[in-house]
Amino acid sequence: MTYILDKKQLEKVLKKWSADYEVYAPQKAKQFSAFLPLGSSDLALDEPHNTRYPPKSLFLPQTEVMLRYNGRLNRLEDVKLEIKPRILFGIHPCDAQAAALLDTVFATEENSDPYWSNRRKETLLIGLGCDEPPQTCFCTTVGGGPFNTKGLDALLTEMEDAYFVEVLSDEAEKLFADLPKASKEQQKQIKEVQDSAAAKMAPAFETEGLKEKLDANFDSEFWAEISESCLGCGVCTFLCPTCFCFDIVDEVQRSERVRNWDTCMFRIYSLEASGHNPRPSRKERTRQRLSHKYSYWLDHAGEIGCTGCGRCVRYCPVGLDIRAMLRAANALEMEPANA
Amino acid sequence: MPEIKEKITSEIKRLLDEGLVDVVIGFKKEESPLRPQPAFFRKVEDLAELEYNGLCQNNLANYLTRYPQDTRIGIVVRGCENRSVNALVVEHQHARENLFLIGVPCQGIIDIKKIIAEVGEEVSEFSETGDEVTLVARGKTHTFKRQDLLHDSCLRCAHPNPVSADVVIGEPLPEGDPEMIRKAVEEFEGLSKEERYAWFKEESERCIRCYACREACPMCYCTECFVDHATPRWTESDISPAGTQAWHLIRAFHQTGRCTSCGACERACPMDIKMTYLTDKLNKDMYDNYEFIPGMEAETQPPFASFNLDDKKRFVV
Amino acid sequence: MEAKPKIVLFQCQWCLYSEPDQQWVENDLPSSMHLVKVPCTGRINTLHVLNAIQGGADGVMISGCLPEKCHFKEGNLSAMRQQDEFANLLDYVGYEKERIRFVWLDLQDLGRIQKELAAFEADIVELGPTQNLATRTPQTIRGEHA
Repeated sequence: MTYILDKKQLEKVLKKWSADYEVYAPQKAKQFSAFLPLGSSDLALDEPHNTRYPPKSLFLPQTEVMLRYNGRLNRLEDVKLEIKPRILFGIHPCDAQAAALLDTVFATEENSDPYWSNRRKETLLIGLGCDEPPQTCFCTTVGGGPFNTKGLDALLTEMEDAYFVEVLSDEAEKLFADLPKASKEQQKQIKEVQDSAAAKMAPAFETEGLKEKLDANFDSEFWAEISESCLGCGVCTFLCPTCFCFDIVDEVQRSERVRNWDTCMFRIYSLEASGHNPRPSRKERTRQRLSHKYSYWLDHAGEIGCTGCGRCVRYCPVGLDIRAMLRAANALEMEPANA
Repeated sequence: MPEIKEKITSEIKRLLDEGLVDVVIGFKKEESPLRPQPAFFRKVEDLAELEYNGLCQNNLANYLTRYPQDTRIGIVVRGCENRSVNALVVEHQHARENLFLIGVPCQGIIDIKKIIAEVGEEVSEFSETGDEVTLVARGKTHTFKRQDLLHDSCLRCAHPNPVSADVVIGEPLPEGDPEMIRKAVEEFEGLSKEERYAWFKEESERCIRCYACREACPMCYCTECFVDHATPRWTESDISPAGTQAWHLIRAFHQTGRCTSCGACERACPMDIKMTYLTDKLNKDMYDNYEFIPGMEAETQPPFASFNLDDKKRFVV
Repeated sequence: MEAKPKIVLFQCQWCLYSEPDQQWVENDLPSSMHLVKVPCTGRINTLHVLNAIQGGADGVMISGCLPEKCHFKEGNLSAMRQQDEFANLLDYVGYEKERIRFVWLDLQDLGRIQKELAAFEADIVELGPTQNLATRTPQTIRGEHA
C-alpha cells in the first residue's frame, strides 16, 4: 500500500508517533547531520547524502556497558537493557541494507547477540530514498540501490510537496494507515523517479570476479602501493555502516566492562599478547579491510559486506577512494605480479 | 600555480634521474578535484599524476617516520611542513642528510569543509590564483576570495616560507603576522572559565576516538600511544566524557614545543572538531616562557626535552 | 557538615626528613586526602595528575625536595616544566590552576607538610567545587551520538 504524506504534515505525524515510540531522525549537529532523538535540532532530511555518523550506533552503540562490578561488595551488577519501541525515520536504503547485513553477524540462529537483537526487534526503519544520489555513492555497484527496500519497514520517495510512502511491513502499516492513498498514476510516477535515480549511478567498479582477484593477489606488491598514503586511523571503519568489529575492555577505574567499536586499521587491533602481530604494517591491514568487505563477507554471508554508502570516500583524511582501489585490484592479473 | 607544479615536477624528475633519492613524497591528482592525495614517486613515469594546489591538505612530513633513517627521501614541503621536518630531525626521527626538501612558499591550504558548506560536495572543476578560487559545482560556476576559504590555521600562519629547504620553488611570500596566534589565544583566555570549559566540553564531546588527528600529525609517531596503555591505565579508551577530554588535553599537551600549527589535525577530523586552540595556547606559552618556536631550525631541543636550574625561579612556592 | 575536598598528594619519598612527619603522612593523613608516594617528583607524569583529577580529586598537591637538594640531583626539575605548563593548559580550559600546587620541602621544614596541606585544603574550599573537567563516572548505555 502506498500512502501520501504531505510535507506540511510531517512534523505533526512525527510528533504523533512520539507518543508511542522514541523517534530518531537526521538532524543537524554542527555542520553535519546525525540520527538524533526528535526535537534535538532541525530536521535535515533534504541533504543529498546520508548522515555523517552511521545509524548502526543505534543497534551497536560505540560504547556499551556490559556489566558493572562493585569491588567493595564483590558483586556483579547486571546492566539492564531497557529498549523502548523506536522509529528510525529517514534512514537511507544503504544504511538499512547494512543493518540487514549485520543481522547475519549478530542475529543468527546459532549466535544471537541480545544487545543487538533487542534493539533491532524494537526498531522500525522508515526509509527515505535518494532521488539525487551524490557522486560519492555507489550502492548500485554492490547490489543495492537508491530506492532499495531491503531491511526497511517502509520507503519514502520525495516528490514536490509530499513523501510517497510504500509500506513494507505490518507494523509500519499502523503508522501510516490514516493517510490518503496514492493513485495508480502516482505510483507510476514514483517508480519513474526511483528508476531514474538508479540509472544516474554508473557502476563504480566490476564486482564479477573481484573476489577471485583479491584472493589470488594476497601476496602482491599491490597492497603496499595502494596503502602507502593510508594514515591508519579509524575514520572509514567507524563511519562504515557494515563495520562491526568490537573490543571488550575492563575499565578498571570505573569498574565497568565495556564493549567499544574497534578498527582493523589500528596497529594494536591484531597485536597479540606475545608481541607478535599478524598484520604488522599498513599493507596487511588495508588488504584485510578490502578483502573482508569484498571477499570474506561473501564466504560467510554470501553477500558483499559493503553497501556503497560513500562515507569512507567522503571523509578519508587523505582522500583514499575504495572504488579506485578496487578498480586497481580488478586490473591485476590472476597471479600476483611478482609471484 | 600550474608553473609551480611544473617546476616541482622537473625538480623531482631531476632527483629521480640522478638517483639522489629513493622516493619523493608529494601529492597526486585523484578523480575528485577536491581530494588530491599524498603520493610516493619512485619512477619518472608516475610524475604525470603530480598535483600541487591549495587543496593539498595533508602534512607530508607525517610520512617520514615510516621509513628507516637511511632511506633517502625527497619531500615537497610548504612552510609548516618544513618546520615539521625540522622538529622530526631534532628528535632524531630521520637523518637530515638523507632528506631533500623541495620547498614551496605556501599561499595557504583551502579548507574543503568551507567549500562543501558553500557549494556542496559535487565539485567537478577547481582552479585558483593567489587571490581567487573558482569552482564548478553541479554545473554552476562559483568564485570565492581565497582568504574566505583558507583553513583557520593558515589564516594565522606566520611562516609560509620554507625555512630550510634544499631548493625553493616559487617566489618567497611575505611572512605572516606572528601575533595572529597570540591574539586568538588571548581572545579565548579573555572568556570566563565557564565559557572556556563549555567550549572545550562541546568540542571534545563529538569525538569518536578515530585518532585521525593523531595519525595525520607528523609529531604523533609513538609506536604505542598513551591511550593504548593498559598498565597503567591512564584514561578510558571509550567515548566517555572523561576519556575523550583526556584524549584532547593530553594529545595537545604532548605536542608542546613540537607542534608547527599546521592544522592537519583539524582537517582530518571527521566530526569537524576544533582543536588547534589547545596547541596554539601551548605554542604561545613556549614562546613567552622559553622563546622557543618549533621547527625553525633542526638543532635546538624543545623546552620539555631539557631543564636548567633557572627553572626553579619559576616554581618557588 | 560539608564534605571535605578530596586532595591527592603526590609525595616524593625523600622530602620528609623528620620521622614524625613521615609517620604522619603515612598513617595519619585525613581520609579526604590520598597519598601517592613516588621515588622523586620527576617520576610524576602529567597523566598521573589528570588521572587523579578525573578520579574526583578537587585538588592535587605535588610535594618534593628543593631544587639543588634532590636525592637524584635534578630529578625534581626534570618534570617541572611539564607540570607547570599542564596546569596552565587545564586553566585554559576552565579548570583553575590553583587546584594544582607544588610544594618544595627542605630539611629544616619540620611540620611543614601538615601546614601546607591544611592551607591547600582551605584554599580549595574557597575555590569551591568545580564541574570543569569530566570525572570518571559509571556510564549509562549510550548509543546516540551527535
